[in-house]
Amino acid sequence: MIDADDLALLAVSFSAAMAQAPGAGAADVALHELGWGELLVAAPLQGAAAAFAALGTTGSSACLLDDVLAHALGLAVTPDVCVVMPAPSRREPPGVRVGSSIHVHGLVSARIDTSAHVVVAVADDGGEVELLEIDAGMLGCGEGERALDPDRPYRRVAADLGPDGVRVVSAAAEWDDAVRDARAALTHQLIAVSRVMLELARQHAVDREQFGRAVASFQAVRHKLAEALVAIEGAEAVARASVEDDCDPLVATVAKSLAGAAARLTATNAQQVLAGIGFTTDHPFHRSLKRMMVIDTLFGSARTLPTEIGHTLLSRGGAPRLVEL
Amino acid sequence: MQGFRRELIAWLDKHEAELRLPIEGHPTLDEELAQFRHVKSALFDADWGRYGWPSSVGGLDGSSMLRAIVGEEIATRDLAEPGLWSMIEVLAPTVVAFGSPELVAAMVPPLLRGDETWCQGFSEPGSGSDLASLSCRATAVDGGWLINGQKVWTSFAQLAQRCILLTRTGEPGSAHRGITAFFVDMDSPGLTYRPIEIQNGRLEFCEVFYDDVFVPADRVLGGIGQGWQVAMDILPYERSTAFWHRGAFLHHRLDELVERVADAGEPDADDAHLLGQAFQTLMSFRFRSRSTQHRLAAGEPLGAETSIDKILIAAADQTLYNAVRDLLPGVIEFDADTEAGRWRWEYLYSKAATIYGGTAEIQRNIVARRLLDLGAEP
Repeated sequence: MIDADDLALLAVSFSAAMAQAPGAGAADVALHELGWGELLVAAPLQGAAAAFAALGTTGSSACLLDDVLAHALGLAVTPDVCVVMPAPSRREPPGVRVGSSIHVHGLVSARIDTSAHVVVAVADDGGEVELLEIDAGMLGCGEGERALDPDRPYRRVAADLGPDGVRVVSAAAEWDDAVRDARAALTHQLIAVSRVMLELARQHAVDREQFGRAVASFQAVRHKLAEALVAIEGAEAVARASVEDDCDPLVATVAKSLAGAAARLTATNAQQVLAGIGFTTDHPFHRSLKRMMVIDTLFGSARTLPTEIGHTLLSRGGAPRLVEL
Repeated sequence: MQGFRRELIAWLDKHEAELRLPIEGHPTLDEELAQFRHVKSALFDADWGRYGWPSSVGGLDGSSMLRAIVGEEIATRDLAEPGLWSMIEVLAPTVVAFGSPELVAAMVPPLLRGDETWCQGFSEPGSGSDLASLSCRATAVDGGWLINGQKVWTSFAQLAQRCILLTRTGEPGSAHRGITAFFVDMDSPGLTYRPIEIQNGRLEFCEVFYDDVFVPADRVLGGIGQGWQVAMDILPYERSTAFWHRGAFLHHRLDELVERVADAGEPDADDAHLLGQAFQTLMSFRFRSRSTQHRLAAGEPLGAETSIDKILIAAADQTLYNAVRDLLPGVIEFDADTEAGRWRWEYLYSKAATIYGGTAEIQRNIVARRLLDLGAEP
């Protein structure tokens, strides 16, 4: 556990470091020097929540998700640990073992540029998940490919591996824990990005005049922004609980799903309010829009998560309360 | 809190059979009222209905969250009609806050025991969302006030013994400054009502007519011209225990829906998606409302930010019943059994969630003005 005041102080220093070194590599090192790794060990969920909120607010491309996954999977948390993530919108381990070969299909963070090795979670037939370490060069990850987000914080990878060059790190990894921790962390980033988008649109609506009055005075505009705030606050309420100790892992799933939906709604409504300027690269909105879209796809999206939640309810045979007063 | 809940659940497990009156098929409103009074009275006698209410009205004091927990467990067992239950949670605290000590001591205990029901005379034919424009007139006379005018959408007026009534005592056009609240006996001479049948077939609310209805001076709530404060004071109560109760009721229905869909066999991804959406929408309300309950219990004032709670619970209500309609194909449209009747009834009623207690549009106006600081509307 960590004191709330200490956590707030750390979050401020994280934000400052992210603002100073927005790119991936330098920021990762700076954050580790500030104690990010120790924080993750002391308070994994709360610490990640604070750091990922800072990621969202600053727009930093620091690769902290690798550290969250490493910690959840029992690996050492270092600035060069690199963990392969599930394919877009999915939650399953990125690797599947078929006979003696292993098919990998997933995403990696920008750490692939600097890390010598990567860790891949691989599902076997028996429902176990093993962790394998391979040389980074064994993954097909195109250099300098174009993608939506110009910083390319996450990229697709694919590979068919044989037994050679594969080292077993763990034979039975807690993949569900990794999924839960990743979702809880990403939820906070999504919410922070959404707040950035909403504030950009809010300021624009107040400043921009048409028909001789601020566009913020038109009810159609006001309601679009109000709907975004309601969605963000609704997601935030669940997000806060998702980092409480001993909470049902379904809370993090619901939180990520709501945060993704809130981010989509906020992006749509904010862009509509920003109108022409929102389409340009002169205005900062495009950065948040692109980042939101990328984060939404990680570990289940606003499209896939409600389905997963529904299947969970059906398998449990009811709707759990998740929290009591 | 958790110990209180455990003991309550144990008590309910033991007494549930005797708490349920024998009712065949879909209950009539009279049967629901009888069931409601039966449960309120049993809870009061066993003390569960007294926690969270002040000792001045026969309560046992303690946090309002205790009341929320009782409401939640009652809703989860379908033991009381949720609208009747919520009405007490909404109106009683306001009368406790604004009534004279004698009035409160005389009137609130019978309500908590289930001997009475009350109604809320706010809306008028010409004053819905624009409540502050109301025109039902109260004129000072010897020893009290004479009331003339009309109210509408007064829920359960035909069942109620008392009404919290908003009237105009200031000049016409005095808006929220010239409003006074009264505590009115529904059997007062000159007071008549006409129940209005709504889409689901129930006589949910009434038009209420006031024709020279005399109300004694000691029935003023707050002071003359303080009616707007009385009306606004209801808001935090509505948005704490009453919302929590409604949310618990919806949760119970979602739980039943999941069971129905699972029993029907072979649910596909679309089915799961609808259930997931209904659940996450309800959870966003539940977690939000939970922090609101804690803020209220800690003595914090509740204000414009609870418009978010209101929007979230209305969304949860309608998302759930839209999912019911899609996941139980034809049940709402064609089936005649008791359970289908209940789904049909509740589906139709869910559409009111974005209207009562301040429409969805009014709530968004409040969010825009007060929480997003977008300035006044022209």
